[in-house]
Amino acid sequence: MSDFHPKKTIVWIQGITCNGDSHSFFNYSGMKNFANNFKIIYHPLLITSYDLEAILANEDRYDYLIVEGSFTKVRDYVDRSGYSFEHLVENLSKRVDYIICAGTCASYGGIFRERDKINITGALFSGDEEGGYWNENKKVINIPGCPLHPRWLVDTLLILKEGKPLLLDEFFRPKEVFSYFVHHGCLRNEYFEWKIDTKGFGEKEGCLFYEQGCRGPMTHANCNKILWNEVSSKTRAGSPCLGCTEPDFPRENVYETKTRMSLPAVPYGVSKRAYYTITGVAKSFRIDRLERKLIGDEHEDY
Amino acid sequence: MKITKEIIERIEGEATLELEWKDKKISYAKIKFLNYRAMEDILKDRPMLDALMITPRVCGICSHSHVNATIEAIEDSYRNIGVELELTNKAKQIRELVLNAEKIQNHIKWFYFLILPELFKINKEKFVLAESFKDKEWFEAQNALATVLKMGAIFSGQWPHGSYVMTGGVTCDPLESDILNAKNYLLEVKEFCEERLYGCSIEEFLKLDSISDLIDGNSTLDMAVAFMKELGFNKIGKSYDRFISFGDHKGVNEPVKALKTRLFKTNVKFVSESLKNSFFDKGNKGFTYSKSAVYKDNFYEVGPLARLMISKDSMIRDCHRRCTDSVITRIIARVKEIALLLKRSEELLENIDIREKSIISPIHLPKNITAQGVGVVEAARGTLIHKISVNEGKIVNFDIIPPTVWNLGNGSPEKPAIAQKAIIGLDSVEKADFVFKSFDICSVCTTQ
Repeated sequence: MSDFHPKKTIVWIQGITCNGDSHSFFNYSGMKNFANNFKIIYHPLLITSYDLEAILANEDRYDYLIVEGSFTKVRDYVDRSGYSFEHLVENLSKRVDYIICAGTCASYGGIFRERDKINITGALFSGDEEGGYWNENKKVINIPGCPLHPRWLVDTLLILKEGKPLLLDEFFRPKEVFSYFVHHGCLRNEYFEWKIDTKGFGEKEGCLFYEQGCRGPMTHANCNKILWNEVSSKTRAGSPCLGCTEPDFPRENVYETKTRMSLPAVPYGVSKRAYYTITGVAKSFRIDRLERKLIGDEHEDY
Repeated sequence: MKITKEIIERIEGEATLELEWKDKKISYAKIKFLNYRAMEDILKDRPMLDALMITPRVCGICSHSHVNATIEAIEDSYRNIGVELELTNKAKQIRELVLNAEKIQNHIKWFYFLILPELFKINKEKFVLAESFKDKEWFEAQNALATVLKMGAIFSGQWPHGSYVMTGGVTCDPLESDILNAKNYLLEVKEFCEERLYGCSIEEFLKLDSISDLIDGNSTLDMAVAFMKELGFNKIGKSYDRFISFGDHKGVNEPVKALKTRLFKTNVKFVSESLKNSFFDKGNKGFTYSKSAVYKDNFYEVGPLARLMISKDSMIRDCHRRCTDSVITRIIARVKEIALLLKRSEELLENIDIREKSIISPIHLPKNITAQGVGVVEAARGTLIHKISVNEGKIVNFDIIPPTVWNLGNGSPEKPAIAQKAIIGLDSVEKADFVFKSFDICSVCTTQ
């Protein structure tokens, strides 16, 4: 590595967490390339050159602060090597160029916010409301997801490092990831088009949107474009999207589709009139092919 | 009396060991977990099935163990009110396979990301290896654990935090080509383990029945074992030599406890959680958020060592004859389990019949049930128990007993818990740290 192309430095800290974003990151498939570009100065689960105390004591500048887990100012909720989370954040956030919120917890408060919705939040949001740990902080980039996909994180880091424009949306999320919906690339799209419900779980056929609570059409993320663990996704494995990248995660009654006058909520950005009209038209046809099994002789008694 | 506080990092979360010293030896150790997230409270009042979304988020490294324990508790609840739920073989096989992927991942990660760097720290000249983001073998190990999770994700959709199970089975509906793809990933992981970790084929490795076979070779495991022996790790870290496992794992088909090598039947109904020493023990001065799991008031070790002692694994039994439940036996057991799980996963992939149903008519199950149920899973670190109590479909109470509260709870100086007993008597902080880590600590599970 030449001096003209130095590695960017990363400090990774945790608020209230399950470590899931770290473990998702460890699945990254281009780890050598990551290591050629970045140096992790501190990560709580890895052997790094410095421990937390040393990082807090020095005055060095770092490029990126990655925060995993919900933010809180309550001392009793987090203890990291004897320090409060607030101490970590106050100390480190001023010495970095970017603060990257890795996961839904750090972005919006996430699952642990259910315990105390006032004092457990994301960096800039509490659920979908503005104002979290900070009211404003221009360094923050949110990468929600429970967990986040390793590529969402590393792609963002690489774009920043190379000085390419990183476009963010109103939730400070990278547009390249969060302009997509989980619905995009779902293998059940044709069933969605013709409003054909799956006949229960454990089937390749049918859409999970009408009964099983799937949030694919209103959940911002490219899960079905880049796939999880490079091989699959919740909907490909027959499981409804739980909307884990959204500010309202975790919703209640997730395995049921909420309906109004037996109509489901509409996909993001589509008017009710448009959606219900097209639904009525689609439902008035019966498409025999889509009523049959995708592959004929499966699941038959033999 | 001198008391020192040691913060143990680089585990799943964080723990503090408070060590009391007498005559330059550790006379007592308090194990403190100071981060608590109230997961059991978060689950309350929610519809029962929401638990399938929430419990995986207890822990990022064993999320699928949690979701399995939850679905088993839900299914048990249905059975307890007379609903018949007989899973197909395919559903059972897929559940186990996905769990195996998680366990193999866990063990590889623990050995390469934690144990080897610790050994390296002790002696940098003798033990050159596995620096994260630097050494070739570290990258290979990282690739292996990501690859085994690909095998699992074919069926679970993702790892971590998949929710691939549902009452009565699994949600996926794989093709023959999916199975073939999974076999390819498994083969890749197997090759890494053969070339690097074991230095011989999995089949040959599984035939070895003596620990002395491990010392002379050039594989990473051989080198680690030889080095640990040199350090005297075959003599330290001993606990009660008492093990427990509640089954559904290869070789352990029913709940069994072992007193040294003698086996006895057990029943999960005798498991309880003690609040002693914890902040939850109202009125008394607690010092940790960790509860302590006991079986009929006694502490038992859980995890790979317990499972292999109970399943009479010949290599581990040999190691136990020579070194009892020392830190070296505990470590070899966890690494040995990788080979067993690889072999077992191969068999599962060979035998899945995709023509069977993935799930049995779950859609017609009554949702607003009032019932109680227990789910038991052998997770990477040992027995994981979920107890659920539901009223008209809503969760009234949810009790999570993770493996780590078996191993990492606190007793008293007269009757220390498992890891405490393994640490008492040691003469250095470094040894205490290493012995503690040999239990594969997970603080996020321990305190939830």
